[in-house]
Amino acid sequence: MAIRFILCFNKQGVVRLVRWYQPLQDGKNTAETIAQIYRLISSRDHKHQSNFVQLSDVTKLVYKRYAGLYFVFGVDLNDDEPIYLSHIHLFVEVLDSFFGNVCELDIVFSFYKAYMVMDEMFLGGEIQEISKDVLLEKLSSLDRLE
Amino acid sequence: MERRKSFLGNTGPSTGTTIKGLQLFIADLRASQHSQDQEKRIQSEIFKVKQYFNSSSGKKSKDKLDGYQRKKYILKLAYIYITSNTSKLDDIIFALRETLELTRANTFSEKFTGYMTLSLLFQHKQVSEELDADIMNQLIIDLSANNENYLALALNFIGTCGSVTPEFGLNEDLVTHVFQVLRSPTSTQYLKKKAALAFLTLIKGNPTILTDNAQRKQIWIQRILSLLDDKNNYRLTLTVLPLVRYIADKLNPSYCKRLIPQLAEILYNSVVVGTSPGSNFPTEYKFANMPNPWLILKIVSLLNSLIISPRESSFDQIAASGSQFIHINEIDSETLGKLRMCVMQAIDLASRKSIDMMERLVQNTILFSLINFASKLDPSEDAIVNAVNILCSLLESSEINVRYLTLDSLVKLCSFSGKTAVDTVCKDNLDSIFYLLNTERDPSIVKKVIDLLFTFTNVDNIKTIVENLLKFLGNSKNFATSDIKSDLLVKLAVFTERYATDSNWFVETTLKLLSLSDIASLKDEEVWHRLCQIVVNNPELRIFACEKLVDYLQENQTSEPILKSAAFIIGEYGDLISEKVTIPKLFNLFTDKYFASSNLTKAMILTTMMQLYKFQPEISSHVIKFFQIELNSLDIELQRRSFEYLKLIQVVNLSANINLLNLLFAPQPPFNSKSNPLLKRLAHLPSTSNSNNNASASSLNLNSRTLSAAEKEASVTPTIQSSRQSHSSSALSVESIKALDSYYVQQKLVSNWREGFSRMIHYKQGILFISPLMKIIYRINDVGLSQLSIVLTYINQTEWDITGLSTEIIPSRTQDNPEYIISKSEVPSSSTIAPHKRVGQTVEVVIRKPYSIEESPIININFRCGGSSNSMNLKLGLGVTATMKKNSESPGTSLQQFVTRWKTLRDALDKDGEYHLMSLKISEEHKKTDSSILVFKTLERMGFEMVEKESISNTLFATGVIHTKTDGNFGCLIKIQYLEENGTVSITGRTTTPGPLAKYIVDCIRHALVK
Repeated sequence: MAIRFILCFNKQGVVRLVRWYQPLQDGKNTAETIAQIYRLISSRDHKHQSNFVQLSDVTKLVYKRYAGLYFVFGVDLNDDEPIYLSHIHLFVEVLDSFFGNVCELDIVFSFYKAYMVMDEMFLGGEIQEISKDVLLEKLSSLDRLE
Repeated sequence: MERRKSFLGNTGPSTGTTIKGLQLFIADLRASQHSQDQEKRIQSEIFKVKQYFNSSSGKKSKDKLDGYQRKKYILKLAYIYITSNTSKLDDIIFALRETLELTRANTFSEKFTGYMTLSLLFQHKQVSEELDADIMNQLIIDLSANNENYLALALNFIGTCGSVTPEFGLNEDLVTHVFQVLRSPTSTQYLKKKAALAFLTLIKGNPTILTDNAQRKQIWIQRILSLLDDKNNYRLTLTVLPLVRYIADKLNPSYCKRLIPQLAEILYNSVVVGTSPGSNFPTEYKFANMPNPWLILKIVSLLNSLIISPRESSFDQIAASGSQFIHINEIDSETLGKLRMCVMQAIDLASRKSIDMMERLVQNTILFSLINFASKLDPSEDAIVNAVNILCSLLESSEINVRYLTLDSLVKLCSFSGKTAVDTVCKDNLDSIFYLLNTERDPSIVKKVIDLLFTFTNVDNIKTIVENLLKFLGNSKNFATSDIKSDLLVKLAVFTERYATDSNWFVETTLKLLSLSDIASLKDEEVWHRLCQIVVNNPELRIFACEKLVDYLQENQTSEPILKSAAFIIGEYGDLISEKVTIPKLFNLFTDKYFASSNLTKAMILTTMMQLYKFQPEISSHVIKFFQIELNSLDIELQRRSFEYLKLIQVVNLSANINLLNLLFAPQPPFNSKSNPLLKRLAHLPSTSNSNNNASASSLNLNSRTLSAAEKEASVTPTIQSSRQSHSSSALSVESIKALDSYYVQQKLVSNWREGFSRMIHYKQGILFISPLMKIIYRINDVGLSQLSIVLTYINQTEWDITGLSTEIIPSRTQDNPEYIISKSEVPSSSTIAPHKRVGQTVEVVIRKPYSIEESPIININFRCGGSSNSMNLKLGLGVTATMKKNSESPGTSLQQFVTRWKTLRDALDKDGEYHLMSLKISEEHKKTDSSILVFKTLERMGFEMVEKESISNTLFATGVIHTKTDGNFGCLIKIQYLEENGTVSITGRTTTPGPLAKYIVDCIRHALVK
């Protein structure tokens, strides 16, 4: 019952953020797994298909596209998937407030700050804090540190 | 700069500091049009960074690379790594030490960069193995620091990478430091939240943290549970819940019993109070206008795993496992009332149509989780009907996600709430479900629809459901992926057999399935094997099957599995329909199909032709002509087969004697398949709610384990059917087909598992397994009549430490009234074994019903030694005979008594409850006397009482009592005869109950005698 990984890539399949909370099954190669996920998701039709798809015997994907970026959460197969759409939405909202009208370029040039946001929100495959006020206050103080 | 395309369209402040060199590098890369240019730019940058690092490491400390430079270079490398989709690890791995250096910096941004970059790379084994010791040292330094932000960085790193290697969890210092932050009253809430999740990650990497030390276990668990009590907007609660969940799931749910009222209170405050008008639930902890949906979901899912429904508790396995779960009647009425109010409120909320999409999604999320939880709360029939109707109305939602989630929720509801739910869905909603099947364009949804349909398939609706699914499969425009299709075919085959009430319908449907199998690329052969087995065992089906197959053969396109079935079935029984379709006609049908089929099928058809020739030798000239053509076949096997068959026809013609032919192509004896091999692959079948009408409806039967005969026929060598072991258990009995857990079936055993397995059946203690690394010895102790404890001792055979020892006992079945259960499974007393030392573990098993020795528990053992990870699976030799108790005081049975009992049993049960195994070859070396002693000793060790006798020298008699918890005790009588001429024995077993128990016992003896 947890997030196995968070992945963020653009329409061309270039990874912007990647975070594994559990080792991959059977020592699978990370690059191959990412390629597999990109193929699976980019082939799906957004008008007629849901935001959930099974990846393997242990993992399913919950994903959503915001502008040109896909946000993908890999979760346990027996987990409740809809709540993870809320995870994604909250993550995007916090990124948006932190960067101010966030776009892919912010995450390209300041990828390390995006990781800072991620690590304040998620840890050990679980959600850590959901108050935007609390998060933004902490993030801006960390961002100002030398 | 490029056009900014924002995600949400809000505007707000842009913050923070930038690193100019990094920005330039990234901008440069993005400006390169071609990937070759980019690659060149990356390689030159890597070269530059390498040079910097090399030149600085040689010099004295004063002009060492300054922190800012180091941070900048590492970030460039991190960017290269990320945007290469993690494939450029090897190009940047040279900078590991410099990255580690950054974590030692005294500025936040440098330390952050170091930890962040390492947390990305740590996922790779070559990084974690090289750095784990150094990074742990640094983590402990930062955990002891006075700087909250440094502490937070260390906790973040542990929470992200703490389970990559068990080394983290094995480091006492590290574990204690993290726990200290979690429990200390002086830690800030910010740090406690991180510590809770970091600690969780550590236990996931090394589960013994909480179990190794009994005293610590008590104290630490109490401390963790007390943290739930957080009045500050449940901020800490949210992060402690996963930890509590872990304790409930992995350690013992009873620790959490006392939390239920508290959890119910929080749930009530959020779902009921928090959503009522004028509530003061803080807005910042609302999401999409709902009070903290994450908190609600986590609590519901925890309660769901703690509480056991009245339905589940009706299985007596709960009693056996010491009732660790919480029964509904153990919960006080006030708490129960609150929980039920929450369910009602969720239903009410979801019925308010909100305009905002996110708001609707969150409402439905909460609705689905609470509706599924409601089945634990002993709902009334009305409540179930109501819940089903609400869900079914959501099937018509215009939102794809909602339809998907509704189906998912219905699958769960039907599996848990049983008949009422199923009936309600079936009554009014089957059509709309079929409509979804045919109209949805998302494979994820199609899969859920199929899951749902199989959840409530039963005798009454099997025909409608199968018909619709076949129509769906036949529709070339359907949206199922090839995986889903082949999965669907297997399920259809199994369910058709399980619920068929009309055997002709079964044959017809299975053939239709096979004819579709080209579309759905059914790779496995088992569906047609199974059909052949059933036709062989049920003579009344043969004519019908042959006629149907002829129809298929007359079509232009015939799928391979149909051809194979036709080759087998018509080859066996073609003469039965010769009045309607003559043998020459059948021969022509096969020649028409022959050249378009695969070599394997061709080989089968060649055999079929011989069988047709046997039915009507007059067709010999045609057959000979055909075989002569195939003498030139490119395939050597077909050539050989044609040649042999040609010779055979010559011999028959010369001698005018068809005895040889009749002997070689003797009719197929009945198959003895107890379980349907297809069941093995039903990996994700939703647990069926109608298990009670399982096989009872099926009029088809089969009795033995293997497919060997059908497989032999399919293999390319011509088969000469030898007389098979005769099987006395009735061909009429209908054995229930129950699936083994797919998890159990999937375990691959080590190659030499049989030796220990076989030993364990007849020795109470001994060596289970031995390898250059580890020796495992076992001892079986009686705990109760049908309860055994197994003490396993692991001995390190090497000069190095064995670390990370963990084991898992995997029973063959865990659900649906299993034959035996693992009632207690301790973890090994330590996960580390010093050289030549030993570590123990005790497991207890309760045997509830008779089962086959083949389904003994499997133990999975994982450990590390000398840098290599080892994982192995062994099957324990723990059969029903392990419950026999030696009674040294009993006077023993005389031969006279034995014979009387034997007769009584035969009169009462006839052949039911008897099993006969012929000509078992024990061993080449054993002479007659030796083998009689061997058999005698083996039986005695197994716990049989040997009957004293003087007269009959080549026969042994033995008695025993099998104990089972649920089904009671059974007596058994064993007779073993050995034949001096060929050194074989034949074993007959009789039990006081009909059914397969006699076979199970004889199988135990067989495995004990033959390794």
